[in-house]
Amino acid sequence: MSNLELNLSQFSPVMQSPLYHFGLAAKQEPMNEGKGVWANEIALLSYICLRGDSNNAAFTKAAKKILGETLPTLPCSLIGTPWGNIYWFSPDEWLIVCPREKRAELQHALQAVLVGVHSQVVDNSGGYTSIILQGKHADNVLQHCTVYNLHSLTENKVVGTTFGKSSVFLHRRNDGQNSAYVLIFRRSFADYIWRYLERAATPYGFGISTL
Amino acid sequence: MRINNLRIEHKHSRVDTTKPLNFTFDGKPYIGYQGDTLASALLANNVKVMARSFKYGRPRGIVGAWAEEPNCLVQIDVGAKTTPDLKATQVELYEGLVAGRTSGWPSLTFDLKSVGGHFSRFMPAGFYYKTFKWPAKFWPMYEHIIRQAAGYGTSPIVADSETYDHKHHHADVLVVGGGAAGLLAAQLAGRSGASVILLDDQSEMGGYLLSTPNTTIGGKSAIEWRDSVIAELKSLPNVSLFTRTTAFGLHDMNMIQAVELLQDHLPHSARQAKQRRERMHRIRATKVVLATGAFERPLVFGNNDVPGVMTVSALTTYFNRYGVACGNHALILTSNDGAYQAVVDLAAGGIKVTLADVRDNINPAWEARLEALGITIYTGFGISEVLGSTAVTGARLSKLNPNDPKEAIAQGVKPRVINQIAIECDVIASSGGLSPTVHLFCHDGGRPTWSDESLAFVVSANGRTNAGIYCVGAVTGVFGLQAGLEKTAETTQEMLSSLGKNSKNQAVNLTTDEIAPSPAQAIFHIPTDKKAFVDFQNDVAVTDIQLAVRENFKSIEHIKRYTALGFGTDQGKLSNVNGFAIAAEALGKSIPEVGTTTYRPAYTPVSFGALAGAHVRETFEPRRYSAMQSAHEKRNAEYETVGNWMRPWYFPKNGEDMHAAVNRECLAARNGVAMLDASTLGKIDIQGKDVREFLNRVYSNAWSQLAPGKCRYGLMLNEAGMVMDDGVTACITDTHFLMTTTTGGAANVLNWLEKWHQTEWPELEVYMTSVTDHWATAALVGPKSREVLAKLCSDIDLSKDAFKFMDWRDGTVAGVPARVCRISFSGELAYEINVDASYGNYVWQELLSAGAELDITPYGTETMHVLRAEKGFIIVGQETDGSVTPLDLDMAWAVGMKKPYSFLGKRSLTRSDTARSDRKQLVGLLTDDPTFVLKEGAQLINSANITPPVHMLGHVTSSYYSAFLGRSIAMGFVIDGIKRRDNDNAIFAYADGKAVAVKIVSSVFVDAEGARHNV
Repeated sequence: MSNLELNLSQFSPVMQSPLYHFGLAAKQEPMNEGKGVWANEIALLSYICLRGDSNNAAFTKAAKKILGETLPTLPCSLIGTPWGNIYWFSPDEWLIVCPREKRAELQHALQAVLVGVHSQVVDNSGGYTSIILQGKHADNVLQHCTVYNLHSLTENKVVGTTFGKSSVFLHRRNDGQNSAYVLIFRRSFADYIWRYLERAATPYGFGISTL
Repeated sequence: MRINNLRIEHKHSRVDTTKPLNFTFDGKPYIGYQGDTLASALLANNVKVMARSFKYGRPRGIVGAWAEEPNCLVQIDVGAKTTPDLKATQVELYEGLVAGRTSGWPSLTFDLKSVGGHFSRFMPAGFYYKTFKWPAKFWPMYEHIIRQAAGYGTSPIVADSETYDHKHHHADVLVVGGGAAGLLAAQLAGRSGASVILLDDQSEMGGYLLSTPNTTIGGKSAIEWRDSVIAELKSLPNVSLFTRTTAFGLHDMNMIQAVELLQDHLPHSARQAKQRRERMHRIRATKVVLATGAFERPLVFGNNDVPGVMTVSALTTYFNRYGVACGNHALILTSNDGAYQAVVDLAAGGIKVTLADVRDNINPAWEARLEALGITIYTGFGISEVLGSTAVTGARLSKLNPNDPKEAIAQGVKPRVINQIAIECDVIASSGGLSPTVHLFCHDGGRPTWSDESLAFVVSANGRTNAGIYCVGAVTGVFGLQAGLEKTAETTQEMLSSLGKNSKNQAVNLTTDEIAPSPAQAIFHIPTDKKAFVDFQNDVAVTDIQLAVRENFKSIEHIKRYTALGFGTDQGKLSNVNGFAIAAEALGKSIPEVGTTTYRPAYTPVSFGALAGAHVRETFEPRRYSAMQSAHEKRNAEYETVGNWMRPWYFPKNGEDMHAAVNRECLAARNGVAMLDASTLGKIDIQGKDVREFLNRVYSNAWSQLAPGKCRYGLMLNEAGMVMDDGVTACITDTHFLMTTTTGGAANVLNWLEKWHQTEWPELEVYMTSVTDHWATAALVGPKSREVLAKLCSDIDLSKDAFKFMDWRDGTVAGVPARVCRISFSGELAYEINVDASYGNYVWQELLSAGAELDITPYGTETMHVLRAEKGFIIVGQETDGSVTPLDLDMAWAVGMKKPYSFLGKRSLTRSDTARSDRKQLVGLLTDDPTFVLKEGAQLINSANITPPVHMLGHVTSSYYSAFLGRSIAMGFVIDGIKRRDNDNAIFAYADGKAVAVKIVSSVFVDAEGARHNV
């Protein structure tokens, strides 16, 4: 994006997340025992794709300088940083998810520190969204949607896997006692993924949870 | 004690006679009970004839008790819920069940085919092939008539009202089959802590234990033992049990597909709308334990298809499990000890029983028990003929003669029937031994082997452990209960050891009270001069198999296809092994030499709904939407699918048809201002110091000189030199480019770029990331587009010279950061406004508002196609089909043959075939009649004479009516077309039986000089 940056407080009502048209905010309710599975969109986060060679010290050092943590190199791992989570996507590719209001600062800081270093910093904030899935039947519902073995989805692990005929990045989020899942996927598939999830969840009772 | 009809009080019955259920069969009302199958309920109501046979229309009744039932295919339910061809033995009874017959026309009592059936000796195997060959032209008529007579049941004619889904599972151990062996294997595996899934196709676990409740295991009755194991399994959190779940396919890597029936057993009022009818489970298991058991093989004898003839295991099951006596006097014929317990159970239950055993010497222990019960035993006898037509009234027993001329009989010579004894009876059951259910074992390449000891095709307990497949119980040919359980424990321990687990040595007492068996006799059919059926479902008789062999069919696979042995919904579960054995006799070979036919999934029929799961209706395929979708919906867009994207096709107003809407949209773009949602184009962000060089290699044109702030059209070729994609790429900085691709090609192009970078040019410092979904793009098109944009954008100098054609600028549009590209796919002044997709809908709406006073017109892909065709712009995938070079497209300008490093496809462009001048080339085409729109795909030919052979010149690729030009236009490929442009010789476009004269012209119909966009 250009050097021109937007005053978010002025324009935030005009942003629409990929699941905006489902009107989830109006349907949400505190989780209760009446429904077996709960989900909602974590709307309008920022998604920055970072690519570089993890064997290149210039790259990793520069990235660490901004991110505060060494980029994870363990396949399918994720780490938390003050900015937000960093997801390992491939040996030279990471996704950094941060709040919208931090996006410009983070993107510019990374771009600045990586000048002259073989790398790529790309804002993909409009291109992704996330949903959180929780409740006593969250595992069941997810196993209707993905072939991935959820037993092997340990904490701090993120996998790119199938979701119906589409795909998502999937990891667990530990909310105290309840295991919750976070699904990250592309904007254009969001309608399909939400409908597929809703269909899968129907037999278990499906609610929109307050975030 | 009788409850009613043939229903008896039985202390082990699984049927709850306090809960009567009303149901109908073939239009007549009946009463059954909770726990019944449709088959047991009909038998209890003394219904004998439930079907008519396929070829001869013979009356047929229940033969089996499970998935092997060949005859009683029923139509369950009506309307949207109707399902044809379920086996009555597998349909659980519920209140209000409506069952229909699937055969018998005009009725079950009288079937027209049975008239022909009297002449069945004139309708042997191959009858249809032989009879309806001549004259060949009559075949369509014959086929019509034959098809009327063929088939069972009726397909639903309204949409299914039920829903289905799929579920994925991963387990250490999957046990298929919940009989004695499966329960024990699951118990031991469960105790080891392994994650275990146990499946059984019936309504409750227990398998044949439910049919033999008088057996004891470890001092407990079979039922108590079963109950205690199930209770333990249910208490283990690492064990999941599924009933009503049939594993129907075993695939590579031990992926098992199973279908679970969730609601079919419930009355309609108890079915939940939100629950699925069926669920398909896809189970990936490290180890698979097949405890699939065996089906009893009937003996084949004369008139063995009269209703009332069944297998001994079925008779026992109806008696012990469902409390149904299938008759008052049973005649039992056996070749082995397996039938004796049934005789004892029936006699103890008050049924008169007569036993014929084909063996001369029978087990003395059993003989003593039967004598004590006063049962008559005929040793060395078989049934030569069943008496009765719609129900068994008796049978003739004949002494089996060891001196029978077996070889001659095997060739079809009628045997001499001696020492006949007539027996009066109303039900007949036979046992020729057991046929293991080896299907799953064989689905992914396993083969069963013949065991002379078990007289069966069996599978090895641990012969496929490398594949993680273990087999336990009757499927391995171990038919004794205690021996089977002991071997199961051993095999399960071996399986657990391979997982690094053990069952913690908790002792299980597997002692049973069985009588040690004496050897069975290898016999498959009893000599008879009457029709003796092997395969009931396909009306295949012993004589048909013998005839097939006489007609020189030698492979069992060919004999199967000639006679239809083993086809149909039962897939020969009851008949196959008898058929193999009878073929072996006729061929003079051993059974293992003949072998088996191929066992393929599905084990039992699976509904289309279960296979489709969630992939139906709105979740059938991913539908990708742009950020502007809600705006398009408000304007009633019609859609077309492009690479899963739902793109607005056109926006009809006030009842317009497509042509009217497209004409209006086109004129708005040419004369005023119009707007296209271009968000779906693929977008790839490419960065690195070598990005120019990378683009030089993947595009056919040159990228070294493109300055920051500029855009360029690029053509991408595959190694063969053929066009694979195109798009505009912008130079952001010297080390940062933004590539666009076609909508449908985006993913392929990214893979293509990564492949070449990672495998061939890793030294180039570039990284690429898809940003397709990040950017929402509005293409603002038309002479008035600058005026509209100016209202919303004050920080970009939009003047002609400051912001030229093929430039891009960063700025704000409607207050939102935007990248604006002055590029055009229409030939008009146009701006593509790219914003973070979160703002896409907002910016789109703001542009519509800003353009309202200029009557801004949203347009869809159809108008986009017309506008670009007017300019002669290609669409990859429409003008190209993988066999088109840039030169064929007259786009030599987009090929930089002088670039210092080769580009993909370059070498191929110099091949003699691609370099020749007379290839099919893209040209414009004009009809004489300006209102006539050619058909896309029409063949281009030299003359209007269409008498074959006709020399093909090419075909029409694009054809539209251009409202702007007031006439039709088209593009197409013509051999040597570029040279032929604008000469006066017309060629012809042929479609729909008509040849229309067309002139070959330039493909640029509008503004060849580019004056319209350079403003």
